[in-house]
Amino acid sequence: MLTAMPRRYELLSILLIVAALGACERRKLCTAPDCGTLVDAAIGEPGTLLPASTEDITARDVAEQLFLKLADVGMSLNTVGDEDFQPVLAQRWEWDGPSTLVFHIDPRARWHDGQPVTAVDVAFTFDAYTDSAVASPFRAQLRRISSVTARDSLTAVFRFRERYPEMFYDAVYHMRVLPAHLLRSVPRDQWRTAPFGRQPIGDGPYRFVSWQAGQAIELQSDTTFFLGRPGIRRWILRFPPDPGVAVTQLVADQADVREQLITPELIERARGAQQVKLYPYPGNTYTYVSFNLRANGDTAKPHPIFSEREVRRALTMAVDRASLVKSTLGDVGRVPPGPMSSLLWIWDPEIRQLPYDTTQASRHLNARGWRDHDSDGVRDRDGQPLTFRVVVPSTSQLRRQYARLLQEQFRRIGVQVEIDELDPRALTQRLVSGNFDAAILSRSNDPSPSSGISQTWTSAGIGGSNYGRYSSPEFDRLVDRAISAQSRDQSKQLWRAAIETINADAPAIFLYALGNVAGIHNRVDNVQIRPDSWASLLRTWRIPHDRQIDRDRVER
Amino acid sequence: MMAWLLRRLVASVAIIFAVVTFVFVLIHLAPGEPCFAGGENFTDPEICRLLVRQFGLDQPILVQYWRYLVELVRGNLGYSFALHRPVGDAIADTVPFTLQLAGTALLLDFTLGLGLGIYQALRANRLPDVVLGNVTLFVYSLPTFWLALILLFLFGEKLRLFPVGGASDPILCPTVDSLYCLVDRIWHLVLPAATLGLVGAAGTARFQRAAMLEIAQQDFVRTARAKGLPEPRVVLRHQLRNALLSSITRFGLTFPFLLTGAVLVETIFALPGMGRLTVDAILQRDYAVVTATALIASAMVVTGSLIADILLALADPRIRVHEDAALDIVTA
Amino acid sequence: MTFASWLALVIAIVVAAEAVRWLRHRALAHEHWRRFFRHPTAAWGCGILTFLVIIAIAAPLVAPLDPVVQPDPVRLQNHPPSLTFLMGTDVFSRDVWSRFAYGARISLGIGALGAFIAVALGSLVGAVAGYYRRWVDGMLMRLVDIGLALPRIFILLMAVALWDRLPFAWLAFVIGLTSWFGTSRLVRAEVLGLREREFVVAARALGARSSRVIFGHVLPNAAAPIIVSAALSVGNVLLLEASLSFLGIGVAPPRPSWGNMIADGALSLYTAPWTTLFAGLAISLVVMSLNAVADGLRDALDPREESS
Repeated sequence: MLTAMPRRYELLSILLIVAALGACERRKLCTAPDCGTLVDAAIGEPGTLLPASTEDITARDVAEQLFLKLADVGMSLNTVGDEDFQPVLAQRWEWDGPSTLVFHIDPRARWHDGQPVTAVDVAFTFDAYTDSAVASPFRAQLRRISSVTARDSLTAVFRFRERYPEMFYDAVYHMRVLPAHLLRSVPRDQWRTAPFGRQPIGDGPYRFVSWQAGQAIELQSDTTFFLGRPGIRRWILRFPPDPGVAVTQLVADQADVREQLITPELIERARGAQQVKLYPYPGNTYTYVSFNLRANGDTAKPHPIFSEREVRRALTMAVDRASLVKSTLGDVGRVPPGPMSSLLWIWDPEIRQLPYDTTQASRHLNARGWRDHDSDGVRDRDGQPLTFRVVVPSTSQLRRQYARLLQEQFRRIGVQVEIDELDPRALTQRLVSGNFDAAILSRSNDPSPSSGISQTWTSAGIGGSNYGRYSSPEFDRLVDRAISAQSRDQSKQLWRAAIETINADAPAIFLYALGNVAGIHNRVDNVQIRPDSWASLLRTWRIPHDRQIDRDRVER
Repeated sequence: MMAWLLRRLVASVAIIFAVVTFVFVLIHLAPGEPCFAGGENFTDPEICRLLVRQFGLDQPILVQYWRYLVELVRGNLGYSFALHRPVGDAIADTVPFTLQLAGTALLLDFTLGLGLGIYQALRANRLPDVVLGNVTLFVYSLPTFWLALILLFLFGEKLRLFPVGGASDPILCPTVDSLYCLVDRIWHLVLPAATLGLVGAAGTARFQRAAMLEIAQQDFVRTARAKGLPEPRVVLRHQLRNALLSSITRFGLTFPFLLTGAVLVETIFALPGMGRLTVDAILQRDYAVVTATALIASAMVVTGSLIADILLALADPRIRVHEDAALDIVTA
Repeated sequence: MTFASWLALVIAIVVAAEAVRWLRHRALAHEHWRRFFRHPTAAWGCGILTFLVIIAIAAPLVAPLDPVVQPDPVRLQNHPPSLTFLMGTDVFSRDVWSRFAYGARISLGIGALGAFIAVALGSLVGAVAGYYRRWVDGMLMRLVDIGLALPRIFILLMAVALWDRLPFAWLAFVIGLTSWFGTSRLVRAEVLGLREREFVVAARALGARSSRVIFGHVLPNAAAPIIVSAALSVGNVLLLEASLSFLGIGVAPPRPSWGNMIADGALSLYTAPWTTLFAGLAISLVVMSLNAVADGLRDALDPREESS
């Protein structure tokens, strides 16, 4: 017994020493001026990082760092003409005739594998973006450009089909220039699943390091970037399963950035953490209930409920949008006057919308024959109850909450709604194939209504993001004229008329436009956030040497 | 003995085969298209048709089944639509995390559980036993995901003692390449393993206590006591050894259930393990992954059961003689 | 809470306590039940279960509001428990207590239905396997082995997620269908022992049909493990339903169930913990009570047990 004890203690002390050594292990420290690691609690994990194949928000944020556009819109978000655009990949440009735009590519631009960026890449990019085999979501926005050719290795020529105020914007905003020498060999119809999308090589301020599926994407700054070395060396994206966990990570100092805190509750929690600073900025998303105007599962037939305009108007009038926004978002969200976010210049509270009026709603429904004949609380007509299913993505807490609130609003006027919470991929499949009644969707706006609104709400968008298959020749015409209008005032009037048309037709209920609040660690300096894409100016952020913390100093 | 073992092995393989067939059939019975280009705006039905043809999803079900088996023998588990990589790779990535979680939870489960159970049996019906009995009853009844939420809230957010989710620190330790990273991994595992382990330990404690008390009634133990043998000897040699048998078999069966039952814990703590992979795959209708994980999970259950039976047969000569004896370990 | 609902609540508590007292009184006469009540937890378990069952049955009386109604999502959101709202309000301004009471109906209902199916099926299969033995036994037990090897939560997830328009009763049905395997093994073991007993041998000698022997003689005597199994099954089914609802595929909104109350409340866990607390506690208490009752029953019904 006596000899056993010391042995036990020996073992214990050895273990303790080893553990202590391990914990106090010294690591190599970074001493350069740009040391810094930014951990982003991202909104969701992207599927692919190939810019042409995805509209995913996180993929866009990463693409902002990896791939360059020819020119970038300025902080004023003015998309008319070319005065407010900053040269990026293109050093300068000029107009060579009324519908021809010539870009001169910066000779210093290099792909991360060393090859120079040339005009051939630009021409290739346009060809890919507009190729139906690639099926890029941005294809429709490029339809006014007839061709892009390479006059020589550093000169790209854009030719347009017509003249309109936002020609320059269309040429530079939608496409990110892709490496022709790396993507030429990939069959166009396999772009979405191409390995390049999991290991991209770009020309931007950051280069891709690694992507651990389900865990993190790591990017590292390109110190030789021709427009200036990025201020923060590493950017790591993590994928918390929901906004609550993301904010928890932010508060517990395990994440540095969260681009959208979303609800007032989460904002309060973030505000309570002393190392977090809040940055409000105009939001670029709006959320709506999309009615499927065609039958569920059969796009050839009209929908038994939603194909009737009066019924849609009644349903829209039954929802107290202002109260719902107040309840879920407090002051962080606003009721949009149409399919737009507060970012867009056409935002105007004076635009005519349907009022909240349950009596009128009831009257309209009665007029169309929807009455409660069997007194079960649900209206019916010809034996069919007025019931439909609304699909929401299971990942969006806010939309799930809205679904329940709407369920109750509709119940009060005798409409029965069932909620289907689906995985985003399953949801997309249902949307594309038209297998839904109603869906609560969110879209993020480009800085100009001409791309976003026409993509989603005109007939050209059917088969694309116009899932509800809303088609109004009047609306299409007004939008076209608004885009081509020569003066801002004329354009504004035409846009107003267009929005009022769509509001009157009620193909959707426009629920809220989110105002964004980003939570960022207070050691990060020079935080510039451009509202349409918060990460676009990430390379200008800095972490001053005296404020660095442990994870900044790690050298790997 | 060998004949029995051989029979059990053949039966095990047959069971796994049957499970895979069942899952395969179940998936193909479900409504919904088998194809869509994993995410994002998918505008072209042509691409869908191409993918269907590429993966042979339009063939009759028997043909698909046969192809699947053939590929399985070759070691190819299929291709995941949602993750854009071979299923084998995706699962291989998750296995270490699941094993770490299950292993740690099991360790906690059995050390704490056995300890408590034995202690309770030795102090049967006295105050410590009564108090612990109620505590274990309560902990055993907690829904694991609720406990996970509460632990995450208390220790992760409020007290900041442990990290809130994730398997490791992505900045300093993307791979385990030093002692520091090992400690970091363990630190990340504490809360999820505690969630599973505590509930499991409560169950084990109850089971072990009951088993030991039952053995205590048996004649051979009473005889040993009557003979005047010292108490620790009675406990260790007779009671414990025999009661441990039942726990060993439970061990063999608990492990695989930890793998599949850890689904909710993995989701709440954002651990990239097999359970979470499967749930995501089911919700995204990523059929290849679902079939593969069902195969692996059932293989583990069957293997665990087989190992438990072997251990039991080795330890208890009575069972070797009566092959058919009731090896009915109740799995709750 | 209205005066009527307070009254109903108090009556429910009193009735539950009285019922337990009455049972104890009656139990004094029987050896078995005396053993049952020797566990103090068993008595408490009985009491809690009785109380919750009464609440579930009398939900319209005990709950002042419709569980689905959202009185004022702007001003009545996330209020802490008070005299008007016994358990506070949730993020949609619904009365948590009302949802709790109606949720008890649904959760306990699914638990009972699912457990019934599981135990009935398990007992039948186990009895048939144990009675007929040989190839019938072999085949059925192989089936049970397959069933035990199936990862249950995956099968449930698949069944519920892939057919996403399952009516609510089907949830209980599907859960029951995947939970009977353990019971069948237990019953089989019991039946194997019973079939050699005199009364069975006698019945068969008298020419009784097999089915008569199984249902009339064997099963009634195998009641002990079946009843205990049933008590535990209800708890299991309850936990499964809660897990499925937490994942978003259990009971559909706006219908309340304890499981989806936890899921709804998880949204505001940090600011309004009462929304998850009560539902989670309820589930724990029910499972705990069932386990305590099962312990007591095991003691009471097992003729071989001398002391605990």
